[in-house]
Amino acid sequence: MGKVIVVTSGKGGVGKSTSTANLGTALAVSGKKVVVVDADVGLRNLDVIMGLESRVVYTSMDVLEGVCELEQALVKDRRTKDLYLLAASQRNNKSDIQPEQMKKLCLELKETHDYVLVDSPAGIEQGFQNAAAGADEALIVTTPEVAAVRDADRIIGLLQNMTIKNLHLIINRLAPEMVKAGDMMEPTDVIEILSVNLIGVIPEDREILISTNRGMPSTYNHKSDAGQAYKRVAQRLEGEDVPIPEFKAGGLFGNWFGKLFNS
Amino acid sequence: MFKRLMQLLNREQRSKSVAKSRLQLILVQDRTGIDEEIMESLQTELTEVLSKYFILEREQVEMELEREQDSMALVANIPVLGTKVRHPAQA
Repeated sequence: MGKVIVVTSGKGGVGKSTSTANLGTALAVSGKKVVVVDADVGLRNLDVIMGLESRVVYTSMDVLEGVCELEQALVKDRRTKDLYLLAASQRNNKSDIQPEQMKKLCLELKETHDYVLVDSPAGIEQGFQNAAAGADEALIVTTPEVAAVRDADRIIGLLQNMTIKNLHLIINRLAPEMVKAGDMMEPTDVIEILSVNLIGVIPEDREILISTNRGMPSTYNHKSDAGQAYKRVAQRLEGEDVPIPEFKAGGLFGNWFGKLFNS
Repeated sequence: MFKRLMQLLNREQRSKSVAKSRLQLILVQDRTGIDEEIMESLQTELTEVLSKYFILEREQVEMELEREQDSMALVANIPVLGTKVRHPAQA
């Protein structure tokens, strides 16, 4: 029996789908059986980020309506063994699925997979409620910005009310140079405010856009700092004791920042 | 309010610190539904009551809602200059 992890944030555009795609890939590369589920009915995009859009035939809605079997709806990622995608319907609304149905779907998926990563839509309405319905744990994605942290706080409150234990925080798009200049909150500041367990810090990385353009998660790219940071998050999810490196301008990720400003 | 305004006007303070203190204030309001106005009137009323018993340095009174993990605390710093209560023995 595996576990269901909802990836959520409240605010849109902070990197939920990118995080889901990269963590799913990293976990599968490390030998786990993984399915990533797009819960953003009506506005799906996990298929595009994973580079699997051309191979989607059925969606979770088709499974719920009995049009196909669950197994048929799982799109196999040919690059990595045991990595699957369950796409969201583009023609339906978020209210077309009920939390109970989603819960049942997740239960079924975790019987045959080690990890079920559910990519939640932005917001706190039904789409989020559905995405979190079957979750055992949650990954909250935020960026070191006022609006994103505020929304993360709201989401944390809602998840706690849903009695989801094990909440993990990912701080995305950290720019060490800005932290150094005193113009960006540090991970310690964000943690102090949100009082939740930090599972990873992902540095700002132009490779993310490039890999999204190509439909190839950054985890595959050994030169991508963000991709490598996601790999470490996957290891921590697996219970490995991998320290979070200190992101210093001119230090570990200095090369990247040098590149950004010299180009 | 004044303190915050000064902070915002103070160019020496880095934007990170401004972001953090704004967030802390926003979140207390989000979490409790108690905004700055309510806090001010609470402070005024509390100071009134306390003034019956103590001589307070009113301008220095500070009151804040703070949250840690799952618990919340109303933290107040109220400088007392003297007492107005007479000891029974002196009566």
